[in-house]
Amino acid sequence: MIGVGLAAPFTAPLATLFAATTEGEAGAIAGGAWDMLVPVIVLLPLAGFLFTAVAGRRLGKRAHLVPVGAVGLAWVIGMAAAVGSLTGSAPFGHEGYGHTIYTWIQSGAASQGGFVVDVGFFVDNLTACLLIVVLTIGLLVHVYSIGYMGHDPGYWRFFAYLNLFMVSMLLLVLADSFLVVFVAWELVGLSSYLLIGFWKHKRSAALAAKKAFIVNRVGDVGFALGIMAIFVNTGTLNIRQAIAALTGQVATFGPNPRMLGDGVDPAIPISIVALLIFAGAMGKSAQFPLHVWLPDAMEGPTPVSALIHAATMVNAGVYLVARTNPIFASAPESMAVVAAIGIFTALLAATIAMTQTDIKRVLAYSTLSQLGYMFAALGVGAFTAAIFHLMTHGFFKGLLFLGSGSVIHAVHDEQDMRKMGGLARKIPHTYRTMLLGSIAIAGIPPLAGFFSKDEILGEAWKLGFQWVWAIGIVVAIMTAFYMFRLIGLTFWGESRVDPAVEPHIHESPSVMTTPLWILAVPTVLLGLVLSLPGPPLGPLLGLHGPGLLAGWLEPVFEQGTTLLAHAEEPFQIFGIDGALIGASVAVAVIGVLTAWRLFGVNLGSIQWRPNPERVRELTARAPFLYRASLNKWWFDDLYHLLFMVIGGRMAALLWWFDRRVVDDTVNDIATTTVGAGTSLRRVQTGRVQNYALGIAIGLIVMAGSFLVLAAR
Amino acid sequence: MNVGEIPILSIVTFSPLVGALLVAVAPARYARPLALAASLGAWVISLLLIIGFDPGAPAARAFQFREAVEWIPLFGIQYKVGVDGLSLILVVLTTTLSWISILASFGPIKDRIKEYMVSFLILEVGLIGVFVALDTFLFYIFWEIVLVPMYLIIGIWGGVNRIYATIKFVLYTLVGSLLMLVAILATAFAFQAATGSWAHAFDFEKLRAASFDPNLQIFAFLAFFLAFAIKVPMFPFHTWLPDAHVQAPTAGSVILAAIMLKLGAYGFIRFALPLFPAAAHTFAPAIIVLSLIAIIYGAIVALVQPDLKKLVAYSSVSHMGFVTLGIFVFNQQGMDGAILQMVNHGLITGALFLLVGVIYERTHDRTIAKMGGVAAVMPVYAVALGFFVFASGGLPGLSGFVGEFLVLLGAFEFSPIVAAVATFCMILAAGYLLWMFQRIAFGEVSDFLKGLGHHLTDMSPTEILTLAPLAALTVVFGLFPGLILDLVRGSVTAVLGDASRTGAVEISPQVGLVLVALPILYVIARIIWVARIDLGGGGGGRVADGDAHGGTHGEPVTSVEAVS
Repeated sequence: MIGVGLAAPFTAPLATLFAATTEGEAGAIAGGAWDMLVPVIVLLPLAGFLFTAVAGRRLGKRAHLVPVGAVGLAWVIGMAAAVGSLTGSAPFGHEGYGHTIYTWIQSGAASQGGFVVDVGFFVDNLTACLLIVVLTIGLLVHVYSIGYMGHDPGYWRFFAYLNLFMVSMLLLVLADSFLVVFVAWELVGLSSYLLIGFWKHKRSAALAAKKAFIVNRVGDVGFALGIMAIFVNTGTLNIRQAIAALTGQVATFGPNPRMLGDGVDPAIPISIVALLIFAGAMGKSAQFPLHVWLPDAMEGPTPVSALIHAATMVNAGVYLVARTNPIFASAPESMAVVAAIGIFTALLAATIAMTQTDIKRVLAYSTLSQLGYMFAALGVGAFTAAIFHLMTHGFFKGLLFLGSGSVIHAVHDEQDMRKMGGLARKIPHTYRTMLLGSIAIAGIPPLAGFFSKDEILGEAWKLGFQWVWAIGIVVAIMTAFYMFRLIGLTFWGESRVDPAVEPHIHESPSVMTTPLWILAVPTVLLGLVLSLPGPPLGPLLGLHGPGLLAGWLEPVFEQGTTLLAHAEEPFQIFGIDGALIGASVAVAVIGVLTAWRLFGVNLGSIQWRPNPERVRELTARAPFLYRASLNKWWFDDLYHLLFMVIGGRMAALLWWFDRRVVDDTVNDIATTTVGAGTSLRRVQTGRVQNYALGIAIGLIVMAGSFLVLAAR
Repeated sequence: MNVGEIPILSIVTFSPLVGALLVAVAPARYARPLALAASLGAWVISLLLIIGFDPGAPAARAFQFREAVEWIPLFGIQYKVGVDGLSLILVVLTTTLSWISILASFGPIKDRIKEYMVSFLILEVGLIGVFVALDTFLFYIFWEIVLVPMYLIIGIWGGVNRIYATIKFVLYTLVGSLLMLVAILATAFAFQAATGSWAHAFDFEKLRAASFDPNLQIFAFLAFFLAFAIKVPMFPFHTWLPDAHVQAPTAGSVILAAIMLKLGAYGFIRFALPLFPAAAHTFAPAIIVLSLIAIIYGAIVALVQPDLKKLVAYSSVSHMGFVTLGIFVFNQQGMDGAILQMVNHGLITGALFLLVGVIYERTHDRTIAKMGGVAAVMPVYAVALGFFVFASGGLPGLSGFVGEFLVLLGAFEFSPIVAAVATFCMILAAGYLLWMFQRIAFGEVSDFLKGLGHHLTDMSPTEILTLAPLAALTVVFGLFPGLILDLVRGSVTAVLGDASRTGAVEISPQVGLVLVALPILYVIARIIWVARIDLGGGGGGRVADGDAHGGTHGEPVTSVEAVS
């Protein structure tokens, strides 16, 4: 009861607002209004994109007005929809609300197993959570970009692309059909391509953009095949109907001959379907072995890294797996694969992040690592924890990236942390907000990251995945370490900034620092808000019931959780749960202290000097590990060898085959015929009648021989 | 012919011929506007056809706007035309691309403009004729008419090696089509033998209802197959295509890729499948394998093409592989997808050839390695190129995606393995297209382009006008593929009905083994033989240019790094 009481102050004002906008007019037509309004969330940025693409060039420095305005308006509607869904008001209710807009593809009659794809939207609480993250961070990044991209000649182009990205990402979370999700899936890939390669004169940017798109396509092949398998198994691509049919909730769905009766195994085993979907998720969320594109994607402008490559697009894979959780839950072996890939990526990326010197690359590998945590959570069946971490991570990683952009801005486009240091006093807003972000990601209570990460690790242990927990704990140490290494190198210690730049270091304008402070709010509070009144703090305060987020997502994950049939152990703060929390906090502190010892700290009364000799000594002691980390475990080199060098040779060989074997065979036949023709020249009399006779005879002989053959 | 009605199909078909006659007699300075007017006229009338067409007509009235006149009564040969949804959509595609191509020729073609426009308009007559003919002999006549103007267009207005390319193109196509003529005559003989009369012996609708002897089906199907496979072109009959494309003038390439390749696919759906369904079933597995090879092989070879036009040509081989794959999996999604893919390939690849022409007009070069930084000097061009690059790569939301996905889905229903192999092409397509786009559009402006200075202007209004309709249709068909699918529903149902009428003709395993083993043995032997020549002459991997035809085989094999 008290739980409801606590949640209410947070949501009540918004709920009233929501009620005033729709139900206030007429409760009965509320569904009808949302049928229009939800598509408008996508259409607004689309209009902004089209307008800016056509007219933006002429608008100069005012080019941001329409795109930012469009996203701002979309934010208002989107928040209203999200609140409407989370409070369970009409028409969303407990199960969510959807509406079909039009039939996109129809190949064959639906009643005879034809392929029909409807375009429509579906909003439930999972969508609502994603809407909050995507729209809020999206809007803040749009605002921030007004300052960050202010001097760029491609100002209008940048905002056009950003709006295109918003269209794609919103479509992705709102779509109710697998194929429409796939459309959005590829469109976010396109906008990501355009934004990574935004500085098109930079060869490295163009290469990174291409790499991102192609590596994503590898995952997309799996996703596309998964969609085909889903259709062949169920006869529909509507997400909810397909899931219901796949997991046997309904024996048949409609009069579809393709549908399988009771007791018949689907044409494609459900574990294969799950793994194919997961392949798509691995591409978009940059999981091993498809992780190589994300660090390179940092070639794009920093707001892009914050929005697309930290807070939204890379979460698409997590969203997809969470959305299809009953499919995964029906095939436990696929869940194990998800958990293994996730936690391995978390470890791999964390080891790399520890030695990188480019501030954005550290954050990029950190993102990979945190995404790995989310997949580990999905894999062990802690779906809510995954979405929890998705939300908190979206905010604090968005903050960290925007902060890094502010740093880069301050030191005149320098990204190498070895040429920074001592910036804390010169850019105080950036420093303070980034410090908050680092504490959050390191998992120090009571900031947001602690709650979500601890829930992942705790659940992993309690659901029987102790190995996931063990690796996760190691990653947690590394996370705290590399983040405070970043803070130490950038903000504390002596300045190593280029003396020519040093006098010009300045804090960013308020259009950039305000979004940082706004993001700092959820970075600090979101974990607390979303976890109360549930564990871990709820029981300590004498509260009961599930956390706010867990309550929201309960209907979404109900089926998956039921299928997994995990025994729900009560939360014991003075038992196993308390011990697990203690371990999480302890490793975070160890990581932070280690980083302080090596890279210094300057935090109030704590003043430690950096110790570069010790760093050198440590790296010398484990030269292989150090080089492996520095060289990103040589994955880029391996892929270059496999696909560029060897693949290129193969392609060249095939072209040789094409000319020397296929084409020359054709030419040889022609040459031989000409040779034969020359020797038969005397047949040529030059009289047309003779030719005609010859042709006629030839045709009759040929046709006759056909008839003889046919008559046999 | 329906008495009292206007013979509108004949008007569409022959209005370009009237235009050609006018161009021929009028002074040369009127050649351009007259040709454009004639092609626009045909286009407008063809659009009227769509309005008048009833997609929901019963199967017996599937062919509409029918006209039938006795032509050679002795053998029952008729001038018989009519369109169903499939023909109609291809007729409109032809008339659309024709005026676009003629408009795109205004600048580039300077010599013998009169002859050029006459050839082009006659080409249009032949192409429309192929799609409307309902008499197999008439079909053959139109099929061959197409060759003549294209032979001239490549041979007269083409590049340096135009003679080699055009003779190769014509001879290769002729080999297939003459065999097809024999098969057409054989079916007529068989029909006559069965009915005892020559009446309707070439009438497609009557032939379709007849079922031919399995042995005749096998041989006739193979003859049709050869003609159509060369035209599509399917692997391994594709090598005329890159040569023809590279040598053809821009508009020639556009029509070649957008329409002429569709003749083969149309032939499969219209004639080969309905007339010889049992044989089609027999050979379907082999054709599916060849399609898969074309899809993957075309894409891989496209990766390493140094010449922009050759890259697009090989991408056509890959894309048309999807069409033949979709046709021969014999299900609704595959067939629907194949038809969509035909239309989309026409729009998108046509546009890509136009774009190649735009850059060639300014640089007189098509070497990808010489380009770079085009986005900085020709921003509109870069946007247009980017749009069609992504369209060609099957970006969802644009038309290429729907066709490709339906084909893949049809293939998946046939066999998930087949679909998996074909889907792999998504990666390769992104590879060759984006790599090409990156090398042309991104990076610093290349020295070669800098040297051109102010000659490197952005796209002219005329050039934009040729591309805009294609871009618009690419978006429209991407969002509303039903516009095409609804139109061709009847055609697809009919041809799938024909295909499901019978099972396959059994051929003995020994024959099958020989048919598979012989080409493989030949290829292995040939590889060993050629490799000994090529490797004997010089260092590893270098290809000796010992070819008598010169030029077309001159490019050394380049590894990926060297081209980048």
